[in-house]
Amino acid sequence: MKRDSRRIMDRAFSGVGLFSILVMGLFLLFVLGPIIGRGISAYVFRGTIEHRRFLLENFERGDSSRFEREMQAVREARRPVFRHLREFEAAMDESRELRSEYRRSFRELEEAVHHLIGPDPEDKAPVLVRKKYGATRLDQARTHLFEAMHEERWVPDPDNPGGALIRTHTPRGEHFAGTRLEPLFPYLEEHFEAMLQPGWTFYWRFLTDRSIDSHFFGGIGPEVLGTLYLTLGAMLFAMPMGIIAAIYLCEYARPGRVINLIRTCISTLAGVPSIVFGLFGLAFFLNTLQVTQTKSVLAGSLTLALMILPTVIRASEEAILAVPAAYKEAALSLGAGRWHTICTVILPAALPGILTGVVISMGRAAGETAPIIFTAAVSMGEPLQLFDAFSQPTPALPWNIYNLATEHEAVDQIRHVQYGMVFTLVAIVLILNITAIAIRARISSRLKG
Amino acid sequence: MTRKTMLAVAVLTSAMFACGQDTEKVVIDGSSTVGPIAKAFATYFMAANPDINVTVSESGSGNGAKSMVAGNCDIADMSRAMKPVEFKHAVENDVLPVPHVVALDGIALVTHLSNPVQELSMEQIRDIYLGRIRNWSELGGPARPIVVITRDTNSGTFESFEKLVMGDKKIMSGAEVVGSNGQMRSRVESTPAAIGYVGLGFVEGVRALTIDGVEPTPRAIKTGDYPVARPLFMYTDGYPELGSALYRFVTIYLSSEGQEIVEDLGFVPVTSY
Repeated sequence: MKRDSRRIMDRAFSGVGLFSILVMGLFLLFVLGPIIGRGISAYVFRGTIEHRRFLLENFERGDSSRFEREMQAVREARRPVFRHLREFEAAMDESRELRSEYRRSFRELEEAVHHLIGPDPEDKAPVLVRKKYGATRLDQARTHLFEAMHEERWVPDPDNPGGALIRTHTPRGEHFAGTRLEPLFPYLEEHFEAMLQPGWTFYWRFLTDRSIDSHFFGGIGPEVLGTLYLTLGAMLFAMPMGIIAAIYLCEYARPGRVINLIRTCISTLAGVPSIVFGLFGLAFFLNTLQVTQTKSVLAGSLTLALMILPTVIRASEEAILAVPAAYKEAALSLGAGRWHTICTVILPAALPGILTGVVISMGRAAGETAPIIFTAAVSMGEPLQLFDAFSQPTPALPWNIYNLATEHEAVDQIRHVQYGMVFTLVAIVLILNITAIAIRARISSRLKG
Repeated sequence: MTRKTMLAVAVLTSAMFACGQDTEKVVIDGSSTVGPIAKAFATYFMAANPDINVTVSESGSGNGAKSMVAGNCDIADMSRAMKPVEFKHAVENDVLPVPHVVALDGIALVTHLSNPVQELSMEQIRDIYLGRIRNWSELGGPARPIVVITRDTNSGTFESFEKLVMGDKKIMSGAEVVGSNGQMRSRVESTPAAIGYVGLGFVEGVRALTIDGVEPTPRAIKTGDYPVARPLFMYTDGYPELGSALYRFVTIYLSSEGQEIVEDLGFVPVTSY
C-alpha cells in the first residue's frame, strides 16, 4: 500500500516536472520563433529598386552606374502610369460629373500608386522623406498594389441589417470601366515587377545605419549604439564599486550584526522594481545633482549601474568566497600583506566568477526600459560620438521598441523595423548570456587547487 | 595584466570626462500629438545641419512643460496652451515660456471602421463620455456596449477634449485610459465597439466622425466650424536668439517646406503658400 502510493507520487512528480519543462519549451518556441523569423526579415528581404535608390541617395552606397541603367528601364515602365493619372485628373478638372463620380476613388488610387512607385517625377519633389520613395520592400509593394487595384468599402451586412458594417473589396477597374483610366489597371499588374525590379537584399547595415524619417527608412544604428553605451557605461561604474564592496565585505569587514544588516539591505535592493530606480535617477542625478542639464547617457548609465550593483556585489562575493582558503593561507605564510594577497592571489582566482556575474548583469542592463525612460532615452536622435555620449541623450533599443508600439503614428507600415529591433535586442542579450556561460565553464578548470 | 587593464580603464574614463568639444544639441520633449511634426522637422533640419543633434521624446504635454521649467529640454511640445499655474511656476524658476504655434489640429473622435455610426452631435459625445449613453444601439448602431477610451491626465489632447467637449463635467470613471495617441489609435483600430479621440495625424485605419454635421477637414478647422480644434505649440524659454540653431528649428513651420510637412502629416498649417 505504502509502496504503491509512493510510486504514484514519484510518477506524478516527474510527470508535472516534464510538463512544466514542455510548457516552457513551447513558450520559447512560440515567442522566439516569430521574433527570429520576422526579425530576420528586417535584414534579409526582397528589396525593390526604391530601396536601392534610397541607399544611394541617402547613404551614397551602391553601384550607381548599374542603378542608373536599371532606373532608366524602370522610369520607362512607370511613365504610362503617371501619364494616365495626370490625364484623368485633367479630365476631372473639366467635368463635374466625373468629379462627383470618381473623385474619392481616384484620390485613393493616386495615393496607393504613390506609395507603390513614389511621386510623379514631373511634380515638385516632396519634402517629407516618406513621400519621396515608393515601396522599398516587396511585401509592402504587394499591399499597395492590392490597394490600388481594389476599392475597400465598409458596407451594411445584408444578413444583419443595422449591425456592424463588413469590409468588401471590389476591383477598382470595374468602377473605372469605360473611362480613360481603364487600361491602367491591367498595366499595373503586368508591369509590377518591371516598375519595381525586386531582388533579394541582404541589408546588414540595418544594424548600423541611422534611421531616416522616424524609422520609415534606414536602420537602427543609433539605438544599438545607445544600448551599448548605456550598458558599458553602467558596467564602468558598477564593476569597480561592486568588486571593491565585495572585497570589503569578504576580507575586511568584521563579521557581526552590522555586516549582516548590510547584506540584507543589498539583497533587498536587488529586488527593488526597476521603475523605482528610474524615478530615483531622475530625481537624484538629473534634478538634484544635475550631472547633466538634459537627459543623457551619463545619467542613464549611473541609474543602471545602481540597479545592477547589488547583483554584481553578490556575484563577486560568491566568487571570492569560492576561492580555496589554502590559496590565501599560502600567500600570507609567504609574507604577503593582505592587500597584496587580494590583488595577486584572490582576485585572479575569483575573476571568472566575478566576470560571470558582471556579464549577466550587463544582459539585464541592456534590456531594461524603466530606468532609462526618464534619464537617458529619446525616441529620435543621432548616433553619438564617444565624446558626446556623456552629455547627450540617446535612443536605445528597449525604449524604442516600446515607443514604436505606443507612439508612432504609422506603426503598421514599419512593423519590420519593430521586429528587427526586438530580434537585435534579444540577440544582444543572448550573446551576453552565452558569454557568461562560456566564462563559467572555464571556472571549473581554473579552480582545481 | 591587471595593471594594464586598470591603466586602460583610467585612460578611458579620463578621456570621456575630458570632453571639450560638444556637438550642438536641441532637445525636444512633450506632446505625443506634436511628436510626428517634431520628428519630421528634426529629419528635415538634420539633413541641412548634420552637425546638430536634435533629439525628440514624447512624454506628454504636461511632462514637456515640467521638463522645460527644470531646464531639461530646449523645446516643450504641447498640444494645449500652458496653464497660468505652469506659467507662474516657470517664471518663479526664471524661465519665460514663449509659444510658437506650429500647426492647427482638430481632435478627431474615432471609431472602428465597421461601426455604422458616422456622425454624432457634441451633446451625444458628451453623454457617451459621461456614461449616460452606454450602447451603440442608442445611436443607431449595432447593439454593443460602448467601449469608452480616454487619455491620461498628463495629456494635452485630454485637457483640450475636456475643455471643448465636456465643459465643466467630469469624464466617467469607467473609461479606459491609454497613454498616447498611438496607443489610442491602435486600441480603437482593434476594438469594434470602441470610441476614442486623437490628433489628426493619427487617423490611419480608424474612422474620424463627423461632429454636428462638420467633417474634420483642414478648411473646417481653419474657419473654426469644426468644434473640437486647437492649436499645437512648441514652447521655448524666451524667444530664441536670432540665427541660433534653436531659432532656425522653431521657425521651420513658417517656411513653405515646413507647411508641406505639416500638411503631409495630416495636420493643418498656419501658413498658406
